[in-house]
Amino acid sequence: MRALDLIGLLVRVGLAAVWLVSGAIKVSDLNQTYIAVQAYDLLPAGAVSVVAAGLPFLELVLGVLVLTGLGTRVVAIVSGIVLLAFIGGVAQSWARGLTIDCGCFGGGGQVTAGETRYPQEIARDIGFLLLAVWLTVRPRSKWSLDGWLTVREVETVDTQGRT
Amino acid sequence: MGGAERNARKKRQAQTTGRSPAVAAARKSGPDRKKVVVGVVVVVVLAVAVVGGVLIYNNQKNATEGENINAGTTPSATAPDYPVERDGGIVVVGQSDAKVTLEVYEDFLCPACRQFEETYAGDIEKYVGDGTVRVRYHMLPMLNERSDPPGYSMDSANAGLCAADAGQFPAYHKSLFGDQPEEGSRGWDDQQLAKLGTDLGITDPNFTSCVTSGKYDGLVQKNFDEVKAAPYLQQEFPDGSKGFGTPTLAVDEKVVDTAKADWLDQLVRSAA
Repeated sequence: MRALDLIGLLVRVGLAAVWLVSGAIKVSDLNQTYIAVQAYDLLPAGAVSVVAAGLPFLELVLGVLVLTGLGTRVVAIVSGIVLLAFIGGVAQSWARGLTIDCGCFGGGGQVTAGETRYPQEIARDIGFLLLAVWLTVRPRSKWSLDGWLTVREVETVDTQGRT
Repeated sequence: MGGAERNARKKRQAQTTGRSPAVAAARKSGPDRKKVVVGVVVVVVLAVAVVGGVLIYNNQKNATEGENINAGTTPSATAPDYPVERDGGIVVVGQSDAKVTLEVYEDFLCPACRQFEETYAGDIEKYVGDGTVRVRYHMLPMLNERSDPPGYSMDSANAGLCAADAGQFPAYHKSLFGDQPEEGSRGWDDQQLAKLGTDLGITDPNFTSCVTSGKYDGLVQKNFDEVKAAPYLQQEFPDGSKGFGTPTLAVDEKVVDTAKADWLDQLVRSAA
């Protein structure tokens, strides 16, 4: 079990790195993020603004939470939903013949037909999704706030049990 | 045993404080309750992040709100000493007997167009001034979806045509590229576009209504459709795909390669 906890820690660090890096890049250029979201051609202008505004910060906070291991399962589930939405967004662009960059790690918007990299983008997101699935199924990991909270709980229960 | 004593003391303590049943109940549901609390906290934190993001974003993208478009340090109230006229959705600048007629395709929101203007506007102005070059400016709503709210490309292109009617196109054109809003941001609205005209010395009362009513939107769109469909304007991109992009320059239905800094001198020389 300790080995699995260690793997859980690595998975957390990996997923945290994904969210923190992609979130930080997007936050640093919100106008570019708007262009990236708009290029998917899925949402009305008002909704594009909200997604372009909220997503970067959501990613950052997901990164911080998963790194510290607070509410790991909830964070993993939300991460999974967001990643599924990304995969769906890229897949529909591919299916509809749009020529865009996913804007996953900055950039984004229209590109020329030969510059699309849909298969790689989807494969990468599925890789990230696996990390989220791991933590959803097995949120326990080494050095997490969750673990720290649970350990204190167990001690209390023990005292109760002996009383 | 020390342990037994301690436990007994704890029990007494619990009894004397009278909290025992409540505390025990709370402790029994402890792990689950803690999980729920953590879960709720996490969801709230995520929601706050999204709402905070929207606030920060709105603050940032609306940087142009309440500002004036910079009309430049020397607003020229005088009309330029060469002809400027509007030909449908195109503005023609320079003498009609000029040796070179340069077609310029650009979008007021396009950063590459701004760079082009920053680099070559001086050269173009010089040749237009001495009558060797005539420029036909095609202002296109290429990036119309790329402002938030969408539409700045069209609004600015229309305003450019209105400015041509009012005789102030060169200065107007220069100011819009000089104070270009960022892609993905708010852009300038019709009132600000109209204000720039008055700041540049336009007194024609029709100018403001021309800008705010989008008088020439139809002409701009028509020209854009023609340009997009023109085979000679399609360019090959490095990856082998083809398409139209801004900025593009053309002379006699041939795209001009601006890779070399002296492309304009060469054009003038070869036309002589």
